[in-house]
Amino acid sequence: MKKFHLLLRALVILLVLAACSPSDEGSSTPDSNEQNGDKKVIDFWHIDPGVREEVYMEAVARFEEKHSDVQVNVLQIPNDDYKQRMVVAMSGGNPPDVFHSWGGGWLEEFVQSGQVKNLTDEDIDFSQFAEVALDNSTYDGNVYGLPLGLSPYVFYYNKDIFAEHHLEVPETYDELLTIIDVLNENDVIPIALANQPKWPGAFFLMYLADRLAGEDLFLEAYHRQGRGFDDPAYVQAGAYIQELVERNAFNPGFNGISYDAGQGRQLMYSGQAAMMLMTSGFVNNMRDESPDFEEKMGVFNFPALSEGEGDPTNISAGASPVWSVSEHAEHADLAVELIKELTSAETAQAFVDRTGTAVALTGIESSDPYVQTFMDMIGKANSIQFPYDQVLPPALGELHKDTTQEILGLTMTPEEAAAQMESKAQEELE
Amino acid sequence: MNTVLSTEAAIVKQSKKQKQKKAVTIALFVLPALLVYSVFILYPIVATFQYSLFSWSGGQGERTFIGLQNYTVLLADQTFWSALQNNMMLILASVFIQIPLGLLMALVLFSPIKGIKLLNVLYFLPYLMSTVAIGLLWIFMYDPINGPMNQVVQWFGFEPVAWLADQNTAMIAVLLVIIWQFAPFYMILFKAAMVGIPDELYEAAEIDGANGIQKFFSITFPALIPTIVTSSILAIVGSLKAFDIFYIMTGGGPGNATEIVGTYMFKQGFIHFNMGYASTIAAMMFILAFISVLIIQVFEYRRKKRGALL
Repeated sequence: MKKFHLLLRALVILLVLAACSPSDEGSSTPDSNEQNGDKKVIDFWHIDPGVREEVYMEAVARFEEKHSDVQVNVLQIPNDDYKQRMVVAMSGGNPPDVFHSWGGGWLEEFVQSGQVKNLTDEDIDFSQFAEVALDNSTYDGNVYGLPLGLSPYVFYYNKDIFAEHHLEVPETYDELLTIIDVLNENDVIPIALANQPKWPGAFFLMYLADRLAGEDLFLEAYHRQGRGFDDPAYVQAGAYIQELVERNAFNPGFNGISYDAGQGRQLMYSGQAAMMLMTSGFVNNMRDESPDFEEKMGVFNFPALSEGEGDPTNISAGASPVWSVSEHAEHADLAVELIKELTSAETAQAFVDRTGTAVALTGIESSDPYVQTFMDMIGKANSIQFPYDQVLPPALGELHKDTTQEILGLTMTPEEAAAQMESKAQEELE
Repeated sequence: MNTVLSTEAAIVKQSKKQKQKKAVTIALFVLPALLVYSVFILYPIVATFQYSLFSWSGGQGERTFIGLQNYTVLLADQTFWSALQNNMMLILASVFIQIPLGLLMALVLFSPIKGIKLLNVLYFLPYLMSTVAIGLLWIFMYDPINGPMNQVVQWFGFEPVAWLADQNTAMIAVLLVIIWQFAPFYMILFKAAMVGIPDELYEAAEIDGANGIQKFFSITFPALIPTIVTSSILAIVGSLKAFDIFYIMTGGGPGNATEIVGTYMFKQGFIHFNMGYASTIAAMMFILAFISVLIIQVFEYRRKKRGALL
């Protein structure tokens, strides 16, 4: 019996010891040494599946060809998890060397905590990027990210429905209102809106404010110089939104409709709704989900407001991906080379031809008619408004989306929303 | 005499020694599990409390010690209180609707009706689906234009409801889904407990001329009380920790109508970059869950002490 006890105890100790020392064993295997020993490793994180991923992988392959001593470990993380994963990786002190972002306030958070490499003095030709796009990842005159994709927010419409009711693409906001009334009379939902995630509805506030008061309004409010978020133009934009709601411009229950689940897009495909204000990602979604719709689909920019001061060529757009390098990257030079390859003319050409998205680089033409339309809009645009929730500090950006959702739900007046935004802005912005 | 004493002492000594030996053996056996437990459970809890005392944006950004300031801010935070209120609604719905429903379903499965096997499977199905799938499924069920829920509502001659978009109905809509999803879980618990009730009790009751309802209230229900207590603990703690289905179905909206403490914590931590404040919320959740379990345990202890039958 005693012997048995001894044996058991020895076994337990053995097990505990074994459990504590797997690291020794792992590193002593000769195989892993041979594979990674000589090669420099760069960790690269992005969020895009499908064709975009293919384009990135080709760029990575070109990079590895040029630098045969480097191995790039690519990790694709789904969009929804990505922000969280990045925060954790940065907190844990083990961030990827090259990573995806959207520029704006999200990237600025990391820049401010000293996590992102300043690219200003690197050997990069910044003139190949559209200046308005590069501004989105420039803080205090220093560049921290190179933009590749640029996705304008436009109205998609169903040409068949427009033809059936003898409607023309609206040039002015008043024409848009007339179209809404005509469609309502004919039992067609004028505008499909899937506002559960809050950003689709925020496009309306962004565009209306821009058309009312021009692009300077936001810049002044953001930089705390001149007008603020409680400017009458913001209140007016909110009032216009509520007017749209009361006019039944949107599908019922839009504040509960999820965008990702596709109910909003379904209204477009099935012809239940005639228009939708959406990112250029809609083109890809449509090609995946309902390719037949492509021939019925048309695109127009947000119409001009007759009493507004804003330039009607202005567009709102999102930048994604924006490539950045970690401040703690072991092989920083190589990481910079990698993001140069990821924004090279070759990569950009593949991106515009295959992904249905425009790029932030100048002098690129696309074989995809939609993308060419977007590129033309970008080229003509007097200025680009990046979405508030990506430019502003996160807490303020979220409040902007929350209050706009409540404006749309008629549970908050535009005045209240503007006042809340301004008081939060005074807290969050210097 | 002397020898007897010494042998007695020897026996005592020996047993003491043996006890010590036993303790060492037990400790060694517990050690691996204890290590895992400390690293993955105890340490994060302690760390959460530690983080909650800092103003910290996450990342390697600077951490400033601010003492209990996060807690004073939290106690004055209206969103937190309205979120907590929603958690309370969730607790009430879980304890007073979900658990009784589970009990009812278990009772049905013990009754002599045809097709019981089919019911058995049907009842359990919702619990087998992943929460993400359930969330998406119900988003479509609640669709204001094309959703089946509204078609049913319209059959009865009511106006269609924008379930998830209306601040008044969104919470109820999500609660319905949660009840639907988790009632089968409690059903299984009750079913298992019912199998353990000795048949003799029912036979004796029958001889005494008890009817079905009397049998339920005098035998089944008292015998199930320990299971009900366990279920309540699970339901309360689960309700305080809830996150996924709300995150998927409403994201806390519209407005703050379905914001719960879990989603609010997520927003503060990962969207607003207030990791310190988010830790404070997490610490609060832990404290609240701990207190509620403590209260239930005390009641349960007293009940047992009073000499309840089972």
